[in-house]
Amino acid sequence: MTLVVDEVYKSHGAFELGPIDLAVDEEVLSVLGPSGCGKTTLLSTIAGTVTPDAGTISLDGLDLTGRPPEKRGTVLVFQDGALFPHMTARENVAYAASSEGRVEELADALEIGDVLDQRADTLSGGERQRVALARSLAADPDALLLDEPLANLDAPIKRRLRDELRPLLASLDVPVVYVTHDQREATAIGDRLAVIADGELLQLDTPDEVFSHPATPFVASFTGSTNLFRGDVVEAGTGRALDWNGRRLDAAIGGATIGDTVRFCIRPEYVMLASDETRNSFNGAITRQVFEGDGYLLDVVPDGGDEAVRLALSPPAYERAGLDERDRVRIALPADAIHVIGEGGGRTHETPSLSE
Amino acid sequence: MATRSDTARSRTTLFGFDWLTVALVLGGVLCLYYLAPLVSLFLSVPPGEILARMTDSTVVDAATTSLLSASISATVATVFGLPLAYWLARSESRWTNAVLGVVVLPLVLPPTVGGIVLLTVFGPGAPIGKAAASAGVPLTRSLAGVVLAQTFVASPFVVVTAKAAFEGVDRTLEHASRSLGKGRWTTARNVTLPLAMPGIAAGVTLTFARAMGEFGATMMLSYYPRTMPVQIWVSFIELGLDNAYPIAILLLLISVAALAVLNTVAANPWQ
Repeated sequence: MTLVVDEVYKSHGAFELGPIDLAVDEEVLSVLGPSGCGKTTLLSTIAGTVTPDAGTISLDGLDLTGRPPEKRGTVLVFQDGALFPHMTARENVAYAASSEGRVEELADALEIGDVLDQRADTLSGGERQRVALARSLAADPDALLLDEPLANLDAPIKRRLRDELRPLLASLDVPVVYVTHDQREATAIGDRLAVIADGELLQLDTPDEVFSHPATPFVASFTGSTNLFRGDVVEAGTGRALDWNGRRLDAAIGGATIGDTVRFCIRPEYVMLASDETRNSFNGAITRQVFEGDGYLLDVVPDGGDEAVRLALSPPAYERAGLDERDRVRIALPADAIHVIGEGGGRTHETPSLSE
Repeated sequence: MATRSDTARSRTTLFGFDWLTVALVLGGVLCLYYLAPLVSLFLSVPPGEILARMTDSTVVDAATTSLLSASISATVATVFGLPLAYWLARSESRWTNAVLGVVVLPLVLPPTVGGIVLLTVFGPGAPIGKAAASAGVPLTRSLAGVVLAQTFVASPFVVVTAKAAFEGVDRTLEHASRSLGKGRWTTARNVTLPLAMPGIAAGVTLTFARAMGEFGATMMLSYYPRTMPVQIWVSFIELGLDNAYPIAILLLLISVAALAVLNTVAANPWQ
């Protein structure tokens, strides 16, 4: 079973989606993008609630484009669950279920046995999404579409449901499209990851690959690779190095040639505290530090420079270093963690600022 | 700060009275104006006499005609009005506003004019009226005529109220139902209708109450059989005010009952 999105294009006022090409096999595809990027519109064209201006949607070779939503075999899970409020949880799940046994089976799988006989509008957010998932699975979807199903949940419930969702969705053996604006959710749940901004598909790859080799500056910053700089290629071929504001950086520069100005990025987790001898290292001053609960973010401005390099430290690493705000440190940008990216993208995408 | 709060307070008073008190007094006068005549109606006739006259054949006949015709009118209005209301609520056609205008027209048209308009179609001289009469179903001076007049004047209530009720149903729920493999009709029956039901009930109640009280168009189209409002008019003209009281009280009680329905099973459209 393969879900194919072929050259799908939709315009709405000044907003344009696509043309987008996707092929989703029996796998989970996460679609990641900021709000308003068109990912929900994309999902609606697959589900049939929005008709694309051009392009086709097909499932298992069958053209779905002109079909009404109920005749597609695609089932959509909504952000707030969209449970029928005048029914109990059981009636919701049974709405499209083939048998009462299937309802019980799904109630077990999603741990909603206790709330089955409650009215849907009395359920908590987490329970609602569990019932909504059970209801959608009861309809035996040929393709499952999820539109930010965890977006409105409290952090602990969100994390727990996310961890449960991954094996559940993978076990369905149908194409699953999971739309989210949360990069952690996207990577935790998806076998592959599509990044969309301003209605344009910027990159489609495994989560690892998207994170380590972002195709555009937007993908880099949106997936957390917040250190984005420009440098000049000073050595190509075997040597390979960049000049960054007068500092020499050993780096893999891809296909660029000497004299080119390129953009490069490095994830904050890969920036290290270093000793004098380390390659690509230099001294700087901490200008800002933020404690984020699971780690520290430090902004370090190299001596003589004005662009801050952000580094992420685990609490033990931070404590070991005995750092304080305004301290001087030596940091290193490991050569194999530096990724040179193209300018990418036909349209311009606003890059999230470093302070976010 | 002190001076500011003083000025603020002075603005909420009128001649030294708090504004809310003033509002209550003014509103109270209006409420009294509504209630006093009603009370006076009950006081002007001894209860025993009213009860005795209730069994009068003219009263019983008028009540029967009114209840029967208003029930039929409300049913007809609902059968044809609900699909229209659903279409008005859900269609993205640019014609919805024009159609809504047509629906609201009988509401703003004086009922007597409505009656004249209907006579040009259903009157004994008009083709349809003539054909129906020769087929043995006269559309004037008959129960059918009463129903035609009442439906014309009262049906917009159910359309307009049900339209608002349908609009109040989250479209996402309909999308969800269809995404689960259910067609438009199953979705409307299982999701939209149950959720819109309180509003629909309010619309049906309003239509029924308006049909019960319909006078102007009914007078023009169907003087016989007499409905309660027509009987009140006849009694008042022929026998004087006193004779109009019992039916008036009966109609009043039915109106109160309709209000009670609006405040319990139906969604009160004014809340």
